[in-house]
Amino acid sequence: MDGILITLISLGVTALFVLGIPIFLVISLWVIGVSLVIDFTLANVGVTLYEGLNFYGLLALPLFILTGDLINAAGIAKRLSDFAYSCLSWLHGGLGMASLGACGLFAAISGSNSATTATIGGIMHPEMTKGNYDSKFAAATVAAGGTVGIIIPPSIIFIVYGFMMNLPIGDLFMAGLIPGILMVVAMQLVCYFIARKNGYGVLQPFRFKHALKMGMRAWLGFLAIGIVLWGIYSGAFSPTEAAGMTTGFCLLAGVLVTRELKFSQIPTILMRSGQITGMLAPLIAVSVVMQQVLSLLGAKEFLTELLGLLGGYYPILFACLLIVLLAGTVLESLPNTIILAPILAPIAMSIGVDPIHFAVLFLIGDAIGFITPPYGLNLYVASSMTGIPYLQIVKAVLPYLYALMATWALVAFIPQLSLFMLSF
Amino acid sequence: MTIGSVFGAIERNIEKSVILVSYASMAGIIFVEVIRRFFFNEQAPWSTTIPIYMFLWLAWMGASYNTMRRSHLRFTEVRERLPYKGQFYCLLLDALCWFVMGVVVIYYSVEQVYIAYDNFAIVQGTDNVMQWWFYMATPLAWILLLFRVIQNLRQDIRSFTAGRPLTTQAKMFD
Repeated sequence: MDGILITLISLGVTALFVLGIPIFLVISLWVIGVSLVIDFTLANVGVTLYEGLNFYGLLALPLFILTGDLINAAGIAKRLSDFAYSCLSWLHGGLGMASLGACGLFAAISGSNSATTATIGGIMHPEMTKGNYDSKFAAATVAAGGTVGIIIPPSIIFIVYGFMMNLPIGDLFMAGLIPGILMVVAMQLVCYFIARKNGYGVLQPFRFKHALKMGMRAWLGFLAIGIVLWGIYSGAFSPTEAAGMTTGFCLLAGVLVTRELKFSQIPTILMRSGQITGMLAPLIAVSVVMQQVLSLLGAKEFLTELLGLLGGYYPILFACLLIVLLAGTVLESLPNTIILAPILAPIAMSIGVDPIHFAVLFLIGDAIGFITPPYGLNLYVASSMTGIPYLQIVKAVLPYLYALMATWALVAFIPQLSLFMLSF
Repeated sequence: MTIGSVFGAIERNIEKSVILVSYASMAGIIFVEVIRRFFFNEQAPWSTTIPIYMFLWLAWMGASYNTMRRSHLRFTEVRERLPYKGQFYCLLLDALCWFVMGVVVIYYSVEQVYIAYDNFAIVQGTDNVMQWWFYMATPLAWILLLFRVIQNLRQDIRSFTAGRPLTTQAKMFD
């Protein structure tokens, strides 16, 4: 009887999702409904809405989001984008490739995908449109580029994963580096071929002096990257403290060095970042409750038994990744990680997958989820920013989606791509 | 300036004010304390606890702000294609769902506040900062959130009766 009721509740909340009820409420109502069915106290909701957010490492989330907005307002993101373009302008699709490269550089300072898409998109989308790119393709490019925001270190989601699965966050960051770069390169190749085929952009000769000059102008961005990576890997700061340091650094750099950031802008920047935090943090809290309810329902045991029937290393690994991908089509990455990682990681480890390697694979799947319909957060950010209808960006992003999935499969087949950096 | 206009200004800006204060103090404490530790070998014992509690205020007031703006994350493709009446019913459903969740959250989070209050629970690293001050974030923000839901609902009903376009989803950012 309980099983039927839980199925009905799940179908009901799916209908609510389709009808456009906020995702936070969809998860919450499922939790309340199932808790009532299995006689699990609702007091747990009250406790977990505090305890789910009561984790120092999670403060990296609002801090990295704020860093993203500050890098933009301080003019550092623009300088990084200019540098990337000066290096790639001689290639077909150079501007699009530069946008993707800038996403990679931005991701090395901020740890947030939506901040990466919003910031680089805000700078590069108008440039690409002016540069004879199809507007939908340009929006899809920045939406896809934003996915590396959570793979190239530092990354909010690695911090959450590390905390939940008790893995060293520094190791996770290192393991994400090569796959993150591979994702950027794969997307740049797609951009190159599409731009060449459609004649997007204008070719410009490569000028070493100009590239060097642009690199020098972007020194604050490189210094910020250096502070984050050095701070975390040397043990000088925890990831949250590194996020706090870059926030302070970008604020001071914007006010005192580039002088593009005015004190009067700071409340607006804080509100914008606060708004994103207000979307994501409640989702995290309620996902923790959902994970607890799923544990009570025996989801882990059920999936272990089910996937065990597949037998073999790769079938089980790819089944786990398929679950991550499917869940990522409707869930944001943080709830996806909180809900699924404690269920799938032990299954993967039981067949001999290295836990760090699996973490990277899991989170690449999460990152791909940002551009998978029906619900792809980066696609919504790009749509909201450019005014282009969501479904049109969905169509344009498909080539990038295939490239990212190919990279994902490559990393799955070659664990050294994620584990190599740990050997130093 | 009348009392009404003062209350109006407070009502319009309450989430913004709390978000600005909590965000700035959270980021400021972490930045300053890391600098102090790095250069002066000293750090306040509350510098890792107070920011977490500021985050609670930030998170839930941010949730209320997004409710007011109707900018919570959601899948809008089907709703936007529904007929006018269907869109209106979806907005009513939104409000109902917020109320169901809101009642549960407020009831059980007040219980948590009371437990912290009753036990004189103090924030770690401090001598006299009470935990319940921060735990109040959840019920207060949710009361405010439900107030925003009522405001939005009133606006939707007025728009519907006047035949004006309905707001199914606001732009993600201001």
